[in-house]
Amino acid sequence: MTDVLLPLAVVVPILAATLPLALGLRYDRVGWPIAAVGTTAVAGIAAAIAAEVVFNGPFDHALGGFLPPVGIELVADRLSVAVLLLVAAVSVATLAFARVAGPRGNAFYSAYLLLVGGLVGMTLTGDMFNLFVFLEITGLTTYALIASDRSGASAYASLKYLVVGTVGASLYLLGVGYAFLATGTLNMLDLQAQIVAQAGYGDPLVRASYAFIAIGLALKIAIFPVHSWQPDAYQRAPDSVTTIVAALVSTTSAYALIRVTYTVFTVDFLAANEGIATTLLVVSTVSIVAGSALAAIQSNLKRMFAYSSVAQFGMIGAAIALANETALLGGIVHLIGHGIMKFGLFLGIGLLALGYGTGEIEDLASAARAAPYTSGAVAVLGLALVGIPPSIGFLGKWYIGVGAVDAGLGGGPIGIAVAAAIFVSTLFTLSYVARLLERFYFAGAGLPGDHGEVPGAGGDGAAATDGGRADDDAATDGGDDAPADGGERSVAKTADGLPAPVKGAPRSSIVPDRVPTAPLLALGLAALVTVALGFGGFALAAWFEPFLAEVFA
Amino acid sequence: MTVPTDLLASIPPYVLVAFAALAVLALPRRAGHAVAALATAFAFAQAVLLGDGGTGAHLATTFLGFDVVFFNVDQFSLLMGVVVGFLATAAVLYAYGSEAPTWMTAFAMLYVATTLGTIYAGDWLTLVFFWELTAVTSTLLVWQHGGAAVRAGYRYALFHGTGGTILLAAVVVHFVHAETFLFSATAGIHPAATVLAAIGIGINCGFVFLHSWLPDTYPRPHVAASVFLSVFTTKTAAYVMYRAFPEGGMWLAYLGGFMAVYGAFFALLQYDPRRLLSYHIQAQLGYMLAGFGLATAVGEFAVVGGFAHLFNNVLYKSLLFMAVGVVVYRTGVEDIREMGGLWRVMPVTFFVYLVGAASITAVPGFNGFISKGMVLDSAHEVHNYVLLLDGGLLWWLLVLGGVGTFMSFIKLGYYVFFHGSATLTPDDATPFQTIGMVLAAGACVFFGVFYTQLIELMPFTDLILSDEVYFKPYSQSHLTESAALLVAGFVGFFTLKRPLGWLAHRMPDVDRVLFPAAFYLGRGSVWGVTELWAAVDRATMAVAGAAMRTASDPREALSRAGVDVEIRAGIGRSVLFLTLAAGVALVAFLLV
Repeated sequence: MTDVLLPLAVVVPILAATLPLALGLRYDRVGWPIAAVGTTAVAGIAAAIAAEVVFNGPFDHALGGFLPPVGIELVADRLSVAVLLLVAAVSVATLAFARVAGPRGNAFYSAYLLLVGGLVGMTLTGDMFNLFVFLEITGLTTYALIASDRSGASAYASLKYLVVGTVGASLYLLGVGYAFLATGTLNMLDLQAQIVAQAGYGDPLVRASYAFIAIGLALKIAIFPVHSWQPDAYQRAPDSVTTIVAALVSTTSAYALIRVTYTVFTVDFLAANEGIATTLLVVSTVSIVAGSALAAIQSNLKRMFAYSSVAQFGMIGAAIALANETALLGGIVHLIGHGIMKFGLFLGIGLLALGYGTGEIEDLASAARAAPYTSGAVAVLGLALVGIPPSIGFLGKWYIGVGAVDAGLGGGPIGIAVAAAIFVSTLFTLSYVARLLERFYFAGAGLPGDHGEVPGAGGDGAAATDGGRADDDAATDGGDDAPADGGERSVAKTADGLPAPVKGAPRSSIVPDRVPTAPLLALGLAALVTVALGFGGFALAAWFEPFLAEVFA
Repeated sequence: MTVPTDLLASIPPYVLVAFAALAVLALPRRAGHAVAALATAFAFAQAVLLGDGGTGAHLATTFLGFDVVFFNVDQFSLLMGVVVGFLATAAVLYAYGSEAPTWMTAFAMLYVATTLGTIYAGDWLTLVFFWELTAVTSTLLVWQHGGAAVRAGYRYALFHGTGGTILLAAVVVHFVHAETFLFSATAGIHPAATVLAAIGIGINCGFVFLHSWLPDTYPRPHVAASVFLSVFTTKTAAYVMYRAFPEGGMWLAYLGGFMAVYGAFFALLQYDPRRLLSYHIQAQLGYMLAGFGLATAVGEFAVVGGFAHLFNNVLYKSLLFMAVGVVVYRTGVEDIREMGGLWRVMPVTFFVYLVGAASITAVPGFNGFISKGMVLDSAHEVHNYVLLLDGGLLWWLLVLGGVGTFMSFIKLGYYVFFHGSATLTPDDATPFQTIGMVLAAGACVFFGVFYTQLIELMPFTDLILSDEVYFKPYSQSHLTESAALLVAGFVGFFTLKRPLGWLAHRMPDVDRVLFPAAFYLGRGSVWGVTELWAAVDRATMAVAGAAMRTASDPREALSRAGVDVEIRAGIGRSVLFLTLAAGVALVAFLLV
């Protein structure tokens, strides 16, 4: 009866989502404990599912006893388990941050649990329409969470995502409809067989179906040029929401694209339709370069890493379209690794914003001296994002790059272009991460060169430069201050010229950083895992080997 | 005989001499110099004892995967070993007598060691290795003196660094074509490397226009250092020139002829005694190269003439530097016009100067007479561009150089030892200076009288002494020739004394152009590189700055360009993009 674990993993968070609202009628602060219990339960279930998959292989569960292909099926294999574990871990860890950083209120935790349920559902489902349902659950809760900042800018960002995301999801639904028209089934494995049996890979219905599905998911993943909702959403959402959304929402969508492409349509479909694969590759390659370049010119940290995600998911898209084993392994590894890294990075800059009241790169001069541990972890994660070994960021890019070169040597010049784009993107990534490190470690008061600001006068200079920037920010967002931050965004400096902590900012008893302890531990853990997984190149390859062997059979 | 030969052949002398350099530093001055003299004397004795029986490629091994020979003994390297060992011993004694600092002697020992290494190299790789080291050690030897020697040492180092690099390039080219470094595998350097080798070695030989380091450097260091310097670098270069071009070539012979004239002419204009002698190094090298150059045109006789002249030149040139060095050492004056009448107070020095001058000017009875006669005889057999007296251009150049040599040594002797009354009353040479000078002077006289002994030391001995070759140094024609040169020299000097004095203040050598040119070229290129870099830097920063401004605020950049639109994708535009993307994807996926 271990297969019951699968519906449990979905049902527990969704049912738990009702509790904060229901109990909130009576109690004020039940949201966080319920969310903590719920996500912990999900994490435990996820661990059990993972153990089952490792020891007994993939398994599935037919919901409500209706057997597939008619009934809806939940499936766990090594790929979905990896994503499931990421979802479970990040949703637990983000709660530690949400507790101090907000937003507060029971409704937030309901939405949070619902989001987790949607993400788990997307990960486990084996049914195309069911995937759409969970996609919508995820999307709707995400819109709500983004808006929970209660500022005008976040409302606008949320609305933008709502409209665009709904159209995207509809396109996905259209695609599913076409596939259903062509085959008469919605179960993924059955579709895989029926596409060959009833339509063939060249059937216009099948092709159109893939086109709609790919575009719909590309929007959810935020691949250039349909990424425009994403930077706004990431920047304007509360920091804790950004942390979970950036780490998981696009990730599960990319997982869905991998699942649909390789389990439903299969690698033979890509081989039979070279135009589709090439189009996907070109778009992904453009996304890699454009995302990196846009990231490099940002001055706001969250926006910078948002654009960085556009580039990283471009790489994953390219890995999918390259359709060779090495590249796909790289894509999957990068998918997981990117989730961990972005979780850590957004958590880190969220912590800095919480403690020091700013999310602008310029204002964080000497942050490494004010908050050495937070800055150190962010630096490690940033370098991992660049792809400096040993880190999982290096592994993913490496496998994708090798796969691209393999494809290039096999006669596809676009493969070389992808490899070149990854290289260029790495340089851009290096440039913006290095800018961050330079601010953290080598700029600020008392340091030689023109970086230094005279203590005392530093506040004025920084305020003046910031004033100029605040003007153009105000044009679009009308104020960036989260009430939950407990203070105004400030560029105040201490007497030493270091970033001054926000008044009343949480304080840790074990480190000098003005950040709460528990999220800092989560951040450190993320950095550690990022580096530790960098040593696990062969282990990761062995872990995903069964899945790869199956899809490239 | 075999056991000592094997034993001797297993000890590369340069290792011993290099250890002697350490001993000079470690031991008290007297003991250190004694060890140094013994080490160089060993090098001499070893070369003598090895003789014809010890020839062969000793210490042949592979280094970095190349076949190399660290101790190559043949007729040519032996004769070099004999004379270098002998003269180095005399020079060490002289240095001891001249209050040379121990550091100077130590550097000199290293210099001798690297010279011996170059001489005994059996392959181009080893040779070029020691060649570069010789440049380093000789520069150290110059620098040790400090003062004006430092700047000259820099120029010296630049010259030899350049020359060494060019020779290295020649050796690389040689290896690419010949696929071996070994001397034994090829006859000289590969033709493809001819120009590089000629220039690389030619800088050390003091080719015309490449010679300015010679008179620039050698007058400046300690007088004992000058003795070492005057002998080894240039003569080793001549020897390597033969290694590279055993076939010779008329280009080399004529170059030698011009060097003889050029060097003698400029020597004639000098008032610094050591500078005068330095120009004569160039002139004398001209005779050697003329001999080597005629290897094919005339035969082994010319080669032996060149080598005999090289051998003798080592002896008398250092002797002259020693004698002049004593004068400088005792008087502290470096301008011959301020000397005069010294023959009364420095009879020993005067006497050895006479021996040296007679040798270099080829007076019968001295060794220069034998070897210069051989070279002149060889040149006389070449009849290109015949001028007067049935003599070709080459012969006339060499004769003219000979006259110039006479004139300049009459001038040097006249100004130093006669020329008015003695205003200075220095002491004569110290005992050890005297020993060193007498050793060299004795050798000069010995080989001038017992010239068959000279030939015994040379390669092709049997051929020269056989009846096939006309080799009668003291024939009437040679004596007449020598007398004519002598008379021409005296007449020339005393008639041209005033015009030469006038010319001496006006005649620039190439260094007048070369040094400033090199200086300004260097400064110009530093300035150019710096400014170019700065310009590139400015341009890059400007482009980066503009890109950054435009990219971080594209809307403002657009409005500056006259376009005022919102470029951020709002909701409507985002949906438009999505729809367009879907449409494009549909078209692409369905139609492709």
